[in-house]
Amino acid sequence: MKITVCVKEVMDPDAVNNYAVAGRLEIGPDGKTLTQTAIPRLMNGYDEQAIEAALQLRDAGADFTLTVVSAGPEPEKMLKHAAALGAQEIVSIPIDPGQIDYHGVATLLSAQVEKAGGADIILCGRQASDDDQGVVPALVAERLGMPVVTLARALELSGDKLRVTRVTAEGDEVVEVACPAVVTISNEIGDPRYPSASAKVKARRVKPTVTTPADLGLGDAELQPRVMLTKQFVPEVQGNCEFIQGEPSEVADQLIERLKADSIL
Amino acid sequence: MSENAIVVCTWSTGRDGLPEGVEEILHIGRSMASALDTDLAWLVLGPLPESASELAGKYGVGQLQHAADPNLDPAGSDACVEAIAAYWETHSPATLIVHQTNEARVVAPRVAGRLGKAVVMNGISVETVASNYQITASAYGGDTRAIYEVSSGSILSFIANAVVPEPAEGAPVAPEALSLDLSGVDERIQVVEQASFDGPRLDDAEIIVSGGRGLGGADNYKLIEQLAAALGGLPGASRPIVDEGWVDSSHQVGLTGRITRPNLYIAVGISGASQHMAGCSAAGTIVAINRDADAAIFQHARYGIQGDALEILPELIRAANAR
Ligand SMILES: Cc1cc2nc3c(=O)[nH]c(=O)nc-3n(C[C@H](O)[C@H](O)[C@H](O)COP(=O)(O)OP(=O)(O)OC[C@H]3O[C@@H](n4cnc5c(N)ncnc54)[C@H](O)[C@@H]3O)c2cc1C
Ligand SMILES: Nc1ncnc2c1ncn2[C@@H]1O[C@H](COP(=O)(O)O)[C@@H](O)[C@H]1O
Repeated sequence: MKITVCVKEVMDPDAVNNYAVAGRLEIGPDGKTLTQTAIPRLMNGYDEQAIEAALQLRDAGADFTLTVVSAGPEPEKMLKHAAALGAQEIVSIPIDPGQIDYHGVATLLSAQVEKAGGADIILCGRQASDDDQGVVPALVAERLGMPVVTLARALELSGDKLRVTRVTAEGDEVVEVACPAVVTISNEIGDPRYPSASAKVKARRVKPTVTTPADLGLGDAELQPRVMLTKQFVPEVQGNCEFIQGEPSEVADQLIERLKADSIL
Repeated sequence: MSENAIVVCTWSTGRDGLPEGVEEILHIGRSMASALDTDLAWLVLGPLPESASELAGKYGVGQLQHAADPNLDPAGSDACVEAIAAYWETHSPATLIVHQTNEARVVAPRVAGRLGKAVVMNGISVETVASNYQITASAYGGDTRAIYEVSSGSILSFIANAVVPEPAEGAPVAPEALSLDLSGVDERIQVVEQASFDGPRLDDAEIIVSGGRGLGGADNYKLIEQLAAALGGLPGASRPIVDEGWVDSSHQVGLTGRITRPNLYIAVGISGASQHMAGCSAAGTIVAINRDADAAIFQHARYGIQGDALEILPELIRAANAR
């Protein structure tokens, strides 16, 4: 069996948040790119959890080769982390993110899967923490004619049937789907594990397979963006907080009084 | 047949018998249709909500198109995608808009993938520029807004809680039956255990009291539940305490949890990260209780209490019970 995990490199969302709160998040001269070079780049959290989901399947006895694929400007370092975690193959597709949209990314990822002879399960994160779009997995699924199951918190494999526990607004739902299928992973799957020190050392020597769009037979025509980012800005929060001060019992009484006076209670 | 209409698409109904967020997206659809001087259609897949005709009238819907089919009751995602794709072939809408439920998060990009159309999620507002659309969408968990431009013939998904719908007078619109060929649909995903939560939901709550990591431990979450009960509201949570297992994930408020719009939101021991605020910033009034005077949550709050949650909560529970 073959499992492919798609991972994206993003700016550390906590750092982005800290800059935003401090009022120091800046958009570059092009009017659409975040400029903070000090913000570390790392693997999208849900994608790390998608690798974790594969490792959990392996722990449960499933036998498969694990390939981790990323399309981005320089995903090599991140991919070595994936190798240290147990990916047998790591694949880098070099792209300029400013020149491509989600369809383009999905076109590349699905072409790579096809080139590798297909996959039984494709695992993705539920969404990338930079754009929050969460569309690439469904676009990949449509291209490959696979079903897509979203928001997984647990996976169970028996034969070629995958049983997925999904997080929904109404509580957990359990579904079954036959492989091949695309599954997106939510944070409820649990904290991703750390690679061992020796695995990290070994992974340093692993070279990613680099596949260019041309290697996949894809050029500008196929990768023409349909969605163009034209602008990005930091929304303002007005901020008119009135602090209520005093001893705990006083502030409690005052707050309830205020809320009553405002007809909120 | 109406080509080039703005099409609002819904399937499955919520608890009040209407599709979630339908008035909000009808409101958006109406303003797009009037900006482009084109028709507004409402495509209903599956059972027709009882008040659909009346609602359609209130939002200036020109055609209420109804596709009934056993495959759409309940509507699986394969059936929805197939139905919309078939509809597209005969109606070629100027744009198709949906409200961003978890199901829409599957159906919208799949339709886009199948038809090769542009798709934008997390929409907050939209403007028409010649025959193109500029969609303002939330990004980086809410830290930024991205403006995306797409051409006519795209699929747009909106987060409804930023929109205040404005129904107007209008005569009810008679539904017109559409027949879409779904005979080839064989749902590939089988539900073996249905989600079963049917208690009150954060989405509908008027008052929410949420706790975060600042509570210090799982046991202290009961103070959040007690305050919520004393105020007649529901308890919510930030993601880390859900991840830690202090409380189950149906309580999570935020970008990847519940998107709420209560009258009153009390955030206790919550720092106010954008991803949390994405689920509560539309609240009428936000109250923040936090030890750190510089916590981001105070930028969003109307009233702030700087102090230790564990000292303030018992007093608030007392005062709320005594009110
Ligand atoms: C893609 C993505 C999606 C996410 N989705 C969500 C989501 O849906 N919902 C969500 O909530 N988060 C989400 N997050 C996480 C989010 O970024 C924050 O990490 C999270 O909201 C922080 O939770 P918190 O405020 O409880 O914890 P912290 O940030 O640790 O804040 C704890 C706060 O408690 C205060 N405090 C400490 N002790 C006390 C005390 N004794 N009394 C009073 N105050 C005290 C501290 O001053 C601090 O402000 C997401 C993150 C990413 C990257
Ligand atoms: N450039 C990329 N390379 C590899 N995987 C990606 C890429 N972009 C998105 N994905 C996958 O698709 C998921 C959803 O991304 P998005 O649709 O951009 O929010 C991510 O969590 C990844 O698993």
